[in-house]
Amino acid sequence: MRNVGIIGIGYTPVFVSKRKDVNIVEMIGEAVDAAFRNTNLTPDDIDALTFGNMQTFEGLNLPHLWAADHISALDKPTIRISTGGTTGMSTLQAAYYQVASGLYDVVMAVTWEKQSEGDSQVGLAGIVMPEAMVMIQSGMDLFGGRGMGGMGGGSTGAASYQATSYLHHSGASPEHIDKMAALERTNASKNPYAHLRKVTTVEDIQATPFISWPLRYGHTCPTSDGATVAIVASEEKAAKLADNAAWITGVACCASDPTTANFIEGQITDPAEQRPARIAAEKAFAMAGIKNPKKEIDMAELYNGFAHQSLMWLEKLGLCKEGEAHKLLDKGALDIDGELPTNASGGVFSTNAIGASAMNRPAECALQIMRKIEGEHQIPKKVKNALAHGWGGLFQYVTVMILSDEPRKAK
Amino acid sequence: MTFEMGPETRQVQGTWDVTTYKYKIDGGGMKLLCDAMKEKKIRGIRCNECGTVYVPGPTFCRKCHVDIDEMVEVEDSGEVGTFAVEMADMRGNPTEKERVSAQIKLDGADTWLGGTIEGIDWKEVKIGMKVKAVWVDNPEGKLSDIDHFEPL
Amino acid sequence: MDRKVAIVGQAQTKHSEDIGMPRERMLFELAKGLFGQLGITRHDIDTFVLCSNDFQTGRTISNVFEDTPVGAYMKDETKVEADGVWAVTYAATRIMSGIYDTALVVANSLGGSEFRPYLIMDYQLNPTYDRQLGLINELSAAAFQARSYMDKYGMTDAQLDMIASRLLRNAAKNPNALQSKADATPEYIAGSEYLYEPLRKLHCYPFTDGACALLLASAEKAKELTDSPVWIKGMGDSLESYYLGERELFRSRSSKLAAERAYRMAGISNPAGQIDVAEVSAKFAHQEPIICEALGLFPEGSGGEVAEKGLSEIGGEMPVCPSGGGLGAYPFSAAGAICVAECFRQLTGGAGDAQVANAGTAVAHGQDGFCAQHSAVMVFSREEG
Repeated sequence: MRNVGIIGIGYTPVFVSKRKDVNIVEMIGEAVDAAFRNTNLTPDDIDALTFGNMQTFEGLNLPHLWAADHISALDKPTIRISTGGTTGMSTLQAAYYQVASGLYDVVMAVTWEKQSEGDSQVGLAGIVMPEAMVMIQSGMDLFGGRGMGGMGGGSTGAASYQATSYLHHSGASPEHIDKMAALERTNASKNPYAHLRKVTTVEDIQATPFISWPLRYGHTCPTSDGATVAIVASEEKAAKLADNAAWITGVACCASDPTTANFIEGQITDPAEQRPARIAAEKAFAMAGIKNPKKEIDMAELYNGFAHQSLMWLEKLGLCKEGEAHKLLDKGALDIDGELPTNASGGVFSTNAIGASAMNRPAECALQIMRKIEGEHQIPKKVKNALAHGWGGLFQYVTVMILSDEPRKAK
Repeated sequence: MTFEMGPETRQVQGTWDVTTYKYKIDGGGMKLLCDAMKEKKIRGIRCNECGTVYVPGPTFCRKCHVDIDEMVEVEDSGEVGTFAVEMADMRGNPTEKERVSAQIKLDGADTWLGGTIEGIDWKEVKIGMKVKAVWVDNPEGKLSDIDHFEPL
Repeated sequence: MDRKVAIVGQAQTKHSEDIGMPRERMLFELAKGLFGQLGITRHDIDTFVLCSNDFQTGRTISNVFEDTPVGAYMKDETKVEADGVWAVTYAATRIMSGIYDTALVVANSLGGSEFRPYLIMDYQLNPTYDRQLGLINELSAAAFQARSYMDKYGMTDAQLDMIASRLLRNAAKNPNALQSKADATPEYIAGSEYLYEPLRKLHCYPFTDGACALLLASAEKAKELTDSPVWIKGMGDSLESYYLGERELFRSRSSKLAAERAYRMAGISNPAGQIDVAEVSAKFAHQEPIICEALGLFPEGSGGEVAEKGLSEIGGEMPVCPSGGGLGAYPFSAAGAICVAECFRQLTGGAGDAQVANAGTAVAHGQDGFCAQHSAVMVFSREEG
């Protein structure tokens, strides 16, 4: 199997609520330019592109077609990927396969979202518009919520259900969610590319009201405008073109059934079970030759739209035992200078340009491995293996990538 | 490193009217359920290969990838699978009273149904607690025929 | 190609104006049918590559409800949001990487009954300028392209009618086509109303509900599953400028570069001589000569002559779209995958009355964007090589 490495990352200068100074294609162009600057490459070095975002959020269909002239994609093979919240990583995985297949040697993966140009609530609610219609017609009081009614969980929806179930099964307390939230926002304050960057204490989080217990306002992620670009290359090209690379050694994804609002077809899954996480992680570890992830994984970047999810994913992905994550948190093991730094970037919880969010995870891992972090959240210890995780759909999709400081050895 | 946002660029309004779409949904399982509720009963579909009981029933089993149509009746009581306590509405305004909404696994079914729980302080609600449906007096064959769930 | 990949099976819906069932049911029956045909279950599929469009489906993350019907529950799955041909090339690269041995591609849309494809194309327009001006839409852009080709090379309306009538006659031999007429004549085409001069209704693709499923496999797996695998010999892809004014609409630069890349991989130096049959995604009759010429199948500007002499007929020297092509059926997102499926039928001798004799090498083409701004080309052969 051909080895593929990330040789460079480009971010938009900031991730903020509203970029009113640029339109969509200009914004994406900023990240593409940054990637070229950071790698000293030019468009001629790029063989092909992959491109992804959640397009209905901007009301723009197949945006790569408009963006072509603005991202140096003219006359280049291009493929568009779109898988909901996991889009960022799915797009990077597509770039990985373009190189691993031998078809191309250097591929640029472009991911982004400009949610200020759309209505995310509509975009998200639109996933289940027809199902919601049927439920209403069948007498369900969707938002008033009595009886067998309600999307339930209030405006945080199934995330609250997931949090309650997770707390019950893990033994963690609601205060642990507050603690994880404070840790990640404080991490984000060190990251110039994060959106919410205020140093945050547990008290700050607890001062926010509950929306749907156990989740508070302070536990939810922002919506951001921004773009993230990664350039991947084969081993030979990486040696020629780059001084350093973060090697993609494990790649996996898994899809469950749509576990929220699947009422019409029967929901058989606990939203906190997330079996695809275990399936995908095991596959990625095997591919990367990682036999003891609890020891061998040095850092994790997890897709956490809600603060409790960092703790949940650590367990579901096998980075710690079930019920152990909150104990690691209490010990300080999840801090940037701990044994298992988790979301040193602040995670999706601090920055969420949805189409790019699942790409920011491997991007941050790559920058950590290559020690090219701009900002003060560089993990002090050596990072040999990192786990990047993506999540999306109706609580159903999980993608996992393992990045390492060395390519896989031929068997 | 500081970034200064430049002057605002041109902006225009637009819409995406989702209601102009003509969707097709399989409502068979919902109809089976709603018809049953008129009789204060709950019915779903069972997969003969793996035994999974879906309420409402889809037309095929997602595990076995086969057509399924065996109708089964399940209990109107079960266990709390998970729950949340609504304290603010969609806009963020605090609600008058906390409302417990839950996902309940009815006895005999493998699926979780949404419902509200009343008759108990929200702080006493536990996962695994047994609850029972409280029906309206005159069911009409709608999901609202179950008014709420109460602890058993 | 280091690791060889073959297509081992295909299935299509009977494409319709209204498929008459929910999308999920359509996909379940399609996937189940293909599995049954090949004697496999969903557990034999290593990876699923879905292809559909959020704006067509009317909801974001269009694949959330497509996974369980195609058998992807608890499986490796991803989604391409482009024409189906890109799902096929992506699936092929997944197998070529050595990580997977089998890949199922399922591409679908309900462009007939759910939402009009022309409106979906409107959402592809630059929202701050082109959408506001309201001059460009799929029909007007296609009409520019038709006029551009016809003026440059002198192709007449009557010759355009000949292309369309040939395609409808071919479609009558295709059990899956939505629209066809066994005895279609150019006069029949000319009798349909103008939608946007010079394009009449019967020069344009019909609004179609439809889906296509394809199973790809590595060489070892392919030989286990079938006696007649169809080998992927070459793949190519290219993207032109979004801005119509920057393009020469009488040619298809994206198709030309895509074809060159695919042919190089496949070792094809004389496409007209070495390709036995072509299935191209022409959404409008005039796009067929533009694309075929870009693919090197006919000389530039020869569209009129090709039509007059019947060179692209099923029995002609370079058969094009024996399936009836885009005029027989065109489900958005699935069309290019259908071209691949039709190449499969031809090369396995399964094309019935539309069979091109001794078809050994075929080329498929898919497109996205206005006037095929984005194109991909695949070359197939019966020979493993």
